[in-house]
Amino acid sequence: MTALLEVDNVSKRFGGFVALDGIALSVTAGERVGLIGPNGSGKSTLVNCICGTLTNEMGSVRFEGVTMNGLSAHERTRRGLARSFQLPRPFASLSVAENMRVPLLYTVNARPGAHLSASAIEARCAELLTLVGLAEKAKQLPRDLTQVEMRKLELARALAAEPKLLIADESMAGLSNTEVADIVALLIRLNERGITIIMIEHIMRAVMSFSQRLVVLVSGKKIADGAPDAVIRDPEVERAYLGQ
Amino acid sequence: MRTLPFFLVCLAVAAAVFVLARLVGNDYVFFAGYVVLQYIVLATAWNILGGYTGYVNFGSAAFFALGAYTSVFLHKFYPLPIPVLIVVGAIISGIVGLGMGYLTLRLRGAFFAIATLALAVVLQTLVTNWSYVGGARGAYVIRPNEIEPIGPYIQYLFLLMLALAVIALTVARGIERSWLGLGFAAIRDDELAAEASGVPTLRLKLVATAISGALMGVAGAPFPYYIGYLQPTSAFALDYAVNSIAMPMIGGTTSWIGPLIGAILLGTLQQVATVTISSSVNLLIVGLLIVDCVIIAPNGILGLIQGKRTAREIVTDPAVFALLFVVNVIPIYFLHQEALAARPLEIIFWAVLVFLALARGRIIGLSWLWALPVGGAAISVVPGPFWLWLLSALTLAICLGCGLLMRPPAPATRSGTP
Repeated sequence: MTALLEVDNVSKRFGGFVALDGIALSVTAGERVGLIGPNGSGKSTLVNCICGTLTNEMGSVRFEGVTMNGLSAHERTRRGLARSFQLPRPFASLSVAENMRVPLLYTVNARPGAHLSASAIEARCAELLTLVGLAEKAKQLPRDLTQVEMRKLELARALAAEPKLLIADESMAGLSNTEVADIVALLIRLNERGITIIMIEHIMRAVMSFSQRLVVLVSGKKIADGAPDAVIRDPEVERAYLGQ
Repeated sequence: MRTLPFFLVCLAVAAAVFVLARLVGNDYVFFAGYVVLQYIVLATAWNILGGYTGYVNFGSAAFFALGAYTSVFLHKFYPLPIPVLIVVGAIISGIVGLGMGYLTLRLRGAFFAIATLALAVVLQTLVTNWSYVGGARGAYVIRPNEIEPIGPYIQYLFLLMLALAVIALTVARGIERSWLGLGFAAIRDDELAAEASGVPTLRLKLVATAISGALMGVAGAPFPYYIGYLQPTSAFALDYAVNSIAMPMIGGTTSWIGPLIGAILLGTLQQVATVTISSSVNLLIVGLLIVDCVIIAPNGILGLIQGKRTAREIVTDPAVFALLFVVNVIPIYFLHQEALAARPLEIIFWAVLVFLALARGRIIGLSWLWALPVGGAAISVVPGPFWLWLLSALTLAICLGCGLLMRPPAPATRSGTP
């Protein structure tokens, strides 16, 4: 299989602070990758560099073999790279259904050859909202949702862009055990449909049950990359998490 | 309703307005109406950028003046019919809007607002020093007195502005209901998330500034013919910048109706106030009304109607009630001294007082409190000796006292043992 996403020697500085230091990462199409690391280790910065929210000073990000340097975030989304935000960022003045319409109109419809009719868009909205269990709240505003529902909306909006690669940035923080299990099951279902997924998470139970491969970032460096069971037994990973 | 039927309905309403204005049989109606219509176009144009995408433009006057001075330039260069001037004004202002957007739209919030203000200053300086269009002296634009088939020229100008208002409203509503409007709203709510959802934010913002700028230029293009003598200070007047922000804010910024309501309300009020009372009190009235609107309806009149915030919440604090009450009594005092001509304006403030008393009365359990300002208003209308006036003031004082000093009744204590 070919690599869907190739991150090559990506570095990012904020002033004198090195947030990412020569990260290399390769994700194969169809894979489920977990990305973990202590707070401040650069996970979200890496996501931002991959998705074009931030520009990396060094290195390159290739998606389907095409270098993405210089492409803005919306162009990357249109090429099939979607993300959810760590803190939900819904469009506050738009209803839940309209929140879903934004990526449908601007990403799916903007792709060459795709033109969804108004009724097709409605159907897609309803389908996605049913998938995450928000169908009954379609007409409500995001401020009427609970934190959990907000996270589901965030995920659904990323899915609406019909991505090839989905990066879920801590989409389970604050959720109960059953809800975590729900979302993990949902992500695995999506993966089976052919979406490659990178999951960033602190909840180890979720990460371990989800990931086929685990990548560990510490202080902007990648310190481990491999099978989940082997990685968490890695002494260096233990040191980073538990201290010594 | 789709765009075409809406456009036709607007045209029908506009035609009715024109016929009504002609029935009045006084050309002053057209002079005053022209200004209100001009503000409808300006407020609608401002709202496309400021309301839909959330970028506050303080430079409305610059685009307005750009349209006006394009007309002056062409008038001197080669006289053309006004509709052509309007198109040229739209193109020039649209291009300048696009350029300004390209330079400044990377800035957010207050920085963008300052940049637009700077544009107005730069353009004003340029025009003031450009003698071909009159420079600081200003330029005369002699308009014919009559025009075939319509008659007086002002009626022709009024009709043009009416058509422009219809076009502006149709454009704004069309944008609002299209994929463009959805993208604008996404930008307003969260630019980062919009980008991540595939919205080309910079391109959409440029579209918004270009359309908004073009419509403002359109509003300004016939202005030299209306005013007859155009100088930089009148074309770049602060009124345009302030009104084109205040009107959508008062009406509500998320829909095309908001700027329309705001412009009709505030524009008409300003016209009535200018004619009926001294101009300094005119400013006081408009200012106080804006204060009222900001406190009572922060989401505009539309927000108040849609019940985004219930009116009762506003006066739960007795101090806020008292402040608002006093703020609305002040103009009544001044207006009363202006005698009968100012009565229509007085009604607005009496209505606000009644509304406040009603809301406060419900909270503190005095459901009759609203009757006091109603009584006061009734007494104040009666022509009579001075003590009647005092009686009216007394009712207001009692109402204020009750609202300020009475506390909401304590919730009924439950009987029985805990």
